Amino acid sequence: MFKKILIANRGEIALRIIHACKEMGIRTVAAHSTADADSLPVKMADQAVCIGPGEASKSYLSVPALISAAEVTSCDAVHPGYGFLSENAGFAEVCGECNITFIGPSPESIRLMGNKSVARETAVKAGVPVVPGSDGPIESEETAKEAAGRIEYPVILKASAGGGGRGMRIVHEEAELMDSLKLVQAEAGAAFGDKAIYMEKFVANPRHIEVQVLGDKHGNIVHLFERDCSIQRRHQKIIEEAPSVALDQALREKMTSAALTLAHHIKYYSAGTFEFLLDSKGKFYFMEMNTRVQVEHPVTEMITDVDIIKEQIKVAYGMPLGFSQKDVSIFGHSIECRVNAEDPEKFVPSTGTITELHLPGGPGVRIDTAVYQGYKIPQYYDSMIGKVVVHAHTRVEAIHRMRRALGEFHISGIRTTLPLLLKIMHSEEFEKGEVSTRFIEDFLSRNAAQPTAG
Amino acid sequence: MDIEEIKKLIKLVEKSGIRELEVEEGGKKVRISKYEGGEVVPRTPVSYAPMPAHHVIPPAQASPVSPEEAGKSEAEEKYHLVKSPMVGTFYMAPAEDAAPFVKEGDVVSAGQTLCIIEAMKLMNEIESDVSGRVVKILPENGAPVEYGETLFKVEPL
Repeated sequence: MFKKILIANRGEIALRIIHACKEMGIRTVAAHSTADADSLPVKMADQAVCIGPGEASKSYLSVPALISAAEVTSCDAVHPGYGFLSENAGFAEVCGECNITFIGPSPESIRLMGNKSVARETAVKAGVPVVPGSDGPIESEETAKEAAGRIEYPVILKASAGGGGRGMRIVHEEAELMDSLKLVQAEAGAAFGDKAIYMEKFVANPRHIEVQVLGDKHGNIVHLFERDCSIQRRHQKIIEEAPSVALDQALREKMTSAALTLAHHIKYYSAGTFEFLLDSKGKFYFMEMNTRVQVEHPVTEMITDVDIIKEQIKVAYGMPLGFSQKDVSIFGHSIECRVNAEDPEKFVPSTGTITELHLPGGPGVRIDTAVYQGYKIPQYYDSMIGKVVVHAHTRVEAIHRMRRALGEFHISGIRTTLPLLLKIMHSEEFEKGEVSTRFIEDFLSRNAAQPTAG
Repeated sequence: MDIEEIKKLIKLVEKSGIRELEVEEGGKKVRISKYEGGEVVPRTPVSYAPMPAHHVIPPAQASPVSPEEAGKSEAEEKYHLVKSPMVGTFYMAPAEDAAPFVKEGDVVSAGQTLCIIEAMKLMNEIESDVSGRVVKILPENGAPVEYGETLFKVEPL
């Protein structure tokens, strides 16, 4: 087994990786920026190496800094977490060249599925249904007009190199098309360094259903069922749950089958997630694949009792998966709420020092966080400060448990989205499970008249 | 394992060419690491590029300290700290058998190469950002250094 792993990430996921390593007797090295010198992962890891200043481009996104850190501390593997370089095929390749195992899929898989329009084409080849769309990137204004005419409005323009819900725009009619095209191209160029965009049919009020898979380097691939991540704000997930109330066994079989077909088609190994859109008529379409561990992986861990990070490490080492498809089943229901350091109404990031913190506990409650009382939130990174995850026998129980957990979560010194999460959790709409990606928008406008308590 | 035994182990490591020693006994583990000059055993083979080296990188966050501060007799306050702009391995000389760039006591000018930091097999020359006398070289030759770590204490002249 690996002796030492470099954690090329920060915050709660860095801590999550440290948890798994500690339990496996693997030493950890926390690569961190100057802004994270006082962070929990740095305190918890066996060793820490400062790799650069706060700006991610000079630290967490710097391939030389991370490789150098792994070399000087004699790490034999690196875990990239999520975001940052986790889906950077170049980084995965350099790791290989430097004899450091990249804990993730092959560079080829990352390359293939990282480009969203290539991923679509791959799905089509594998016989997996995709949202009707442009076959390949939009080359010109003429192509855009023709594709939109064929696909039929409303359409959505997306950055090929995009992800995380950024670099997208919905176009309702031809009059908006040209301006939207230019805007998305500019956004794509700025955010991802690649202006290529593709077009898809915009499925109105879909559910966002994703399937978790785990593969080893011996060709074994297993799915760990689905997650429902429909509750999003501006394409950023806020609440996730497993399993999805929208899936009956037949639909579940179809969707997990599609995910496995695609995974086998590209000979995938490590953890990966296939994202689908599910319309109100039970039709599903492949949207994109994330070739990394995801933020919301805990809800899957709770219902299957599989430690996804440990499995990633074992697979990376070359071990075969320790279980087969028939060994996993869904037990109970799990919900996750992401807590962001943001104003709960305006969603403006809130920086500052956490003056008081009491985290909920008790049965069926799991908190994945790297904040502590006295911690000063750095300005350089995303605003998520933690995840509240619950597990219970039924969805109703899970909702009650989440209401309790959120109610017991006490934090002062910064503003968080806890009040909004509580409102949603207490709402009838959420209880009924009638959610789609429009949920937040509708919920917020319905509740606009009632300001949330700070 | 008691403190006397650990002291013996430390002396053993110090005197020998051992770089890292780990001993486990009855559930207790002790690890002693030595970062030392002389016998440099890098993890991956390092080839010294012939001079001039590829990269010249300015030191990180050069923080000049005001020399005369009322009430502060501490000599430390006078020093300019040259900090590492990257994580890597610190080398005092351009090649294994060559003379070091600087020694403690040398006078250097701004822009003069003080050391090399190797990262991913690339040799990066680190230049002094001030003119002055090298008072102290902190890392050992061949030691790993992190971003922002103090490499040299220079008395500005």
